[in-house]
Amino acid sequence: MGTAISLDLADDLPPARLAELADRTFDWLREVDARFSTYRDDSEVCRLDRGELRLADASADLRLVLERCADLWAATDGWFDAYATGRLDPSGYVKGWSAQVASDRLVAAGAPNHCLNAGGDVVVRGLAPTGEPWRIGVRHPDDWSAVCLVLAGTDLAVATSGVHHRGHHVIDPRRGEPAHGLRLVTVVGPDLGYADAYATAALAMGESGIGWLDRLDGHLHAVITDDNRLLHSTRLPLVD
Amino acid sequence: MRRALLAITGLAASTTALVVLKGSPGAGQVTQALPGDQPPAVPGGLDPAATGGPSAAAPAPSAPSAGVKPSARPSASGSRSTAAKPTAPKTTAAPKTTTAAPKPATRTLYGPTVSYRYGSLRVQITVSGTKIVNATATGMPSSGESGRKSDDVQAAYSGTSGQVVQKQSANLNTVSDATYTSDAYRQSLQSAISQI
Repeated sequence: MGTAISLDLADDLPPARLAELADRTFDWLREVDARFSTYRDDSEVCRLDRGELRLADASADLRLVLERCADLWAATDGWFDAYATGRLDPSGYVKGWSAQVASDRLVAAGAPNHCLNAGGDVVVRGLAPTGEPWRIGVRHPDDWSAVCLVLAGTDLAVATSGVHHRGHHVIDPRRGEPAHGLRLVTVVGPDLGYADAYATAALAMGESGIGWLDRLDGHLHAVITDDNRLLHSTRLPLVD
Repeated sequence: MRRALLAITGLAASTTALVVLKGSPGAGQVTQALPGDQPPAVPGGLDPAATGGPSAAAPAPSAPSAGVKPSARPSASGSRSTAAKPTAPKTTAAPKTTTAAPKPATRTLYGPTVSYRYGSLRVQITVSGTKIVNATATGMPSSGESGRKSDDVQAAYSGTSGQVVQKQSANLNTVSDATYTSDAYRQSLQSAISQI
């Protein structure tokens, strides 16, 4: 399963340079897909999971990802679980992490104003082409043609986990069943890997995830409950 | 301002990359010269042919070109996904008188709605001449059943603790959402591109 990724470079650079930066970004994301996908039997993740690759022989990136997944498992009291499906699947962290790395590399390469959207999880840096902060909508859970929140910011990671009207698909790792209580969780923070993992964990927690998110340092959130109430951090950078 | 907008689908079997350079000053002027009283863009905005409803505001949520009118040939662009909808011909009747006019500098084209495991999406692209200046995954309204449920819930919870979820619209640069897959994105995108 692939993920649609879009990149908006807002810096006034020569087109050839922009194309080069974009190519480099997507080369990195393709590389991550090849190495970390659970849908590719020859990926590093699958080889490690089957025992064909020893942890000591794994790449530095994979070891870092596994370390962060372990940290997140502890930080979320087990609710973020790279083994929730019964086999190793660090995708819940890898997507956000790889997009964050891509964004950090763009900043380092002289493109400090951009927006990277990896399958609905977003990193914005600097300013939009309008010269104003980036405006990020959060998709309405019932209506694909609408958003339920609009955020504005200059350096933000925004991750959304949720259920569409076809049903819940985040697994409660403690019961092995789909999670209930929350329909949508958006987490805003400084790093997309963590924001995405926290959003996934909170969704799995259900309503108790709201209090947990409230106590999460350095992050802001919005949730929509199964009964369609919208709750959010008071300091969430909302527009309108 | 010079920009690059890119969209990509990373797939096991193949990879499709769409690279858009928005460097033409002409294109920028066209979009900026539009009157400021255009309706606000709905993210994932739909062309009127698809819904015929009042919520069908201007598309193209992620760019200054939010006021761009739907395609000059809406019946063609929407026919694939809306063929079964009886409302489509009604809303497309009026623009037919303009078919003889030159194509507008900037057009919005729509791919078909593609269903996947957790929902459905359609891709809309904004085209200036033959150059794609924006590409956004949009969606279709949820089913009638879901719509009714939402209304019921809103009625039941108005005024209680917590805010009832409202639908907002605004000019947006991007949309955060639970994951959608590149297969659906690519299918819809390819079809939209074929209309250029």
